[in-house]
Amino acid sequence: MIKGTCWVADDYVMAYDIIIQEYWTSAIDATENSKWVMAGVKEEFNKENAFKDQGYTFIVAAHNFAGGGKSIEHVITGLMGAGIQAVFATSFARLQFRNAINYGLPFVTCDSISEGCDTGDELEYDPESGMIRNLTKGTQFQSVPAAPFVAEVGEAGGLMNYIREKIAKSEAIE
Amino acid sequence: MGMTITEKIMARNSGREKVVPGQLVWTDVHTVMTMDYLGKTCFDKFRSLGKTEVFDKNRVICVSDHLVPPPNQKFATMLNEWRAVVKQHDITNFYDLGRQGIAHQIMVEQGHVLPGKISIGTDSHANTYGAVGAMGNAIGVTDAAVAMATGKAWFRIPQSVKFNITGTWQPWVMAKDLSLHIMGMMHWNGHLLYKALEFTGPAIKSLSMAGRMTLCNMTVDLGAKNGIIAPDVITERYLRNRTSDAWDMLASDEDATYDQVYDIDISDLGPTIALPGKLDDTVPIDKLIGTKFNKAFVGTCTNGRLEDFAAMAEIMKGKQVHRDVNMILVPASQTVYLEALRAGYIETLVEAGAAVDTPSCAACAGIHTGVAGDGDIVLSAGNRNMTGRMGSRKAEIYLTSPSVVAASSIRGEITDPRTFDI
Ligand code: SF4
Repeated sequence: MIKGTCWVADDYVMAYDIIIQEYWTSAIDATENSKWVMAGVKEEFNKENAFKDQGYTFIVAAHNFAGGGKSIEHVITGLMGAGIQAVFATSFARLQFRNAINYGLPFVTCDSISEGCDTGDELEYDPESGMIRNLTKGTQFQSVPAAPFVAEVGEAGGLMNYIREKIAKSEAIE
Repeated sequence: MGMTITEKIMARNSGREKVVPGQLVWTDVHTVMTMDYLGKTCFDKFRSLGKTEVFDKNRVICVSDHLVPPPNQKFATMLNEWRAVVKQHDITNFYDLGRQGIAHQIMVEQGHVLPGKISIGTDSHANTYGAVGAMGNAIGVTDAAVAMATGKAWFRIPQSVKFNITGTWQPWVMAKDLSLHIMGMMHWNGHLLYKALEFTGPAIKSLSMAGRMTLCNMTVDLGAKNGIIAPDVITERYLRNRTSDAWDMLASDEDATYDQVYDIDISDLGPTIALPGKLDDTVPIDKLIGTKFNKAFVGTCTNGRLEDFAAMAEIMKGKQVHRDVNMILVPASQTVYLEALRAGYIETLVEAGAAVDTPSCAACAGIHTGVAGDGDIVLSAGNRNMTGRMGSRKAEIYLTSPSVVAASSIRGEITDPRTFDI
C-alpha cells in the first residue's frame, strides 16, 4: 500500500516539458534529473527542486501522459528522484510507458480518476488490487491491473535486475 | 483469421505461428542503434548486466549525430568518451564524424534495417525504419542495453490501424504534407497511442523511399508504436545494393483485423503547416500566406534527403534568399551531402544564399548549428515545433515541407510553392 499526496495535471503533460531540452544530454541519474523535473510544465516548477520540494507521491493526469514522443529515460528517473511512486492517467505515451515499466515505476491506467482529484488530496494505492482511494474526498477508483510480465519486472526492481538475474542463472529469455 | 504485416513480423521474430494484439512477447532484434549522447550509458548498462561482448558486433550500430561537430567542450569530451567505448567493444559499424549522418538515415541508407525484421534505436524516430517494411521501434537505453546483451527485446503486440491513401499528388505537395495532415486529423488525443500504423494504397505505391521515410518517421509524433509500408519493387530496388543480408517480403493478409481504417484522397491535399507549439495544430497553407519569419531550416531525419534538396534547388534556382531570412540547410548524411553536391543542388542553393552545414541533427534538438534565440520565428521542415525545441523558449517554430520553406525563403514570407513562379 502506498500513501501520499497527489499533483493533478491540468493539461497534457509532455515528456519534453517534464525534462526540458537543456537537460536531455545530462546523465541519467535520479538525483540530478529530479532537480529540474517538470520545469517546462508550469512556470512555478521552473526552479531548482521546485517540483520535488512539494513532496508529492502521486501524479494524476488525463490523456497521453508524457507524450510528444521523447524516449529519454531522464523523464522516469526525474519523477522517481522527486519521490513519485505511481502515476495515474487515462492513457500514457508509449515510449515513457515502456520506460516506466523498465524502471518499475507504476504507470497506472485509470479512466475516471483525472476528474476526481485535486492537487494536494491524499491518496492511497493498492498495487495488488489496483484500487486507488482518495482519502480526502472519500472516493475510490478501480485501475487496470498490470500485466503479469509488468508485475514481474516491477517486483525485480526493473528490467535491468530482471535480465541480470536471468543472465546470471543462464535462463532463457522468452 | 489473417495477420497484419506488423503482427507477422512480431510472430516470425518471436518464433511463433501467430500473435494477437495485447500479447507480450520477446522477439529477436536484427539491429540495435544507439548514438553519441546516450550511447555510453547503453554500453555501461550493458556491461552491468554481466556481459563484456555484445550479441553481435555487426548488428550494434553506433552513430554520431546529435553532438557532432561538437559545439562546445562539454560535448567534445562526451564524444571522446563515446568513441572510446565504441572502440572498446570493437563495434564494426561506427558512423563517426566524417562518415556520419542522422542515425535513422544511416540505418536505412546503409542497409541496417530490412523488410520483415525488427530494429530498435535509442531515439524516438526509429519509427522511420518502417519505410522499408521493417518493424522500427524507439526504445530507451535500458532496452538497448538488454538487446545488446541478448539480441532480444520485449514488445506488446499492437493493434493495427490502416491508412489507405488514394489520389494523385499535386505538384510540390510532399509526404510531409500528408504527415502533417494526418497529425491534424488524428490529434494527440490518444486514438493512435500504441497502434501500428500501416500506409497502403496507390498514392503510397508511387511514393519514393524518401517520402516513405518521412511518413513513417513522424508516426512516433502521433503516439504510434510504429509506422510501416509493405515492401514492394521500390523497396527492393532501394535495398539491392545496400546489404547482402536476406530479408522477408511480408504483407498483410486480406482478412487481417484492423482497429480502424481511414481512407484519405490526397488529390485535394495542399501544403500543410503546423502552427508553433503543438504538432496537431495544423492548417492548410492558405491560412498563413504572407506570414513573416526570419529563419528557415531544412534538414533532420524527417526532411534532409536528396529528394528534399532536389525540390529546393528546383524552386530556388537563379533566385535569392530574402534579405530578412537566414536559411540553414543540413543534409541528413554524408552520402546525401555528396549526392546533392554531385547533382549540383548544393551549388544552386549556396548561390541562392542558403548556408549549408555538415550533416548532423543540427538545430533540430536545439543543440547546435543555428539554434533559435529569443524572438526568432522559424520556418522549419523538421518534425517538432514545441516550445524550446530549437533553443529559446521565446522562439516560434512553424513546421512544413522543404518546398514550402524554399519558396517562402525567397519571398521572406510564407508562400505556396504551387503559385510561385519557378
Ligand atoms: S534530426 Fe531531430 S528528430 Fe531526428 S534524430 Fe536528430 S534530433 Fe531527433
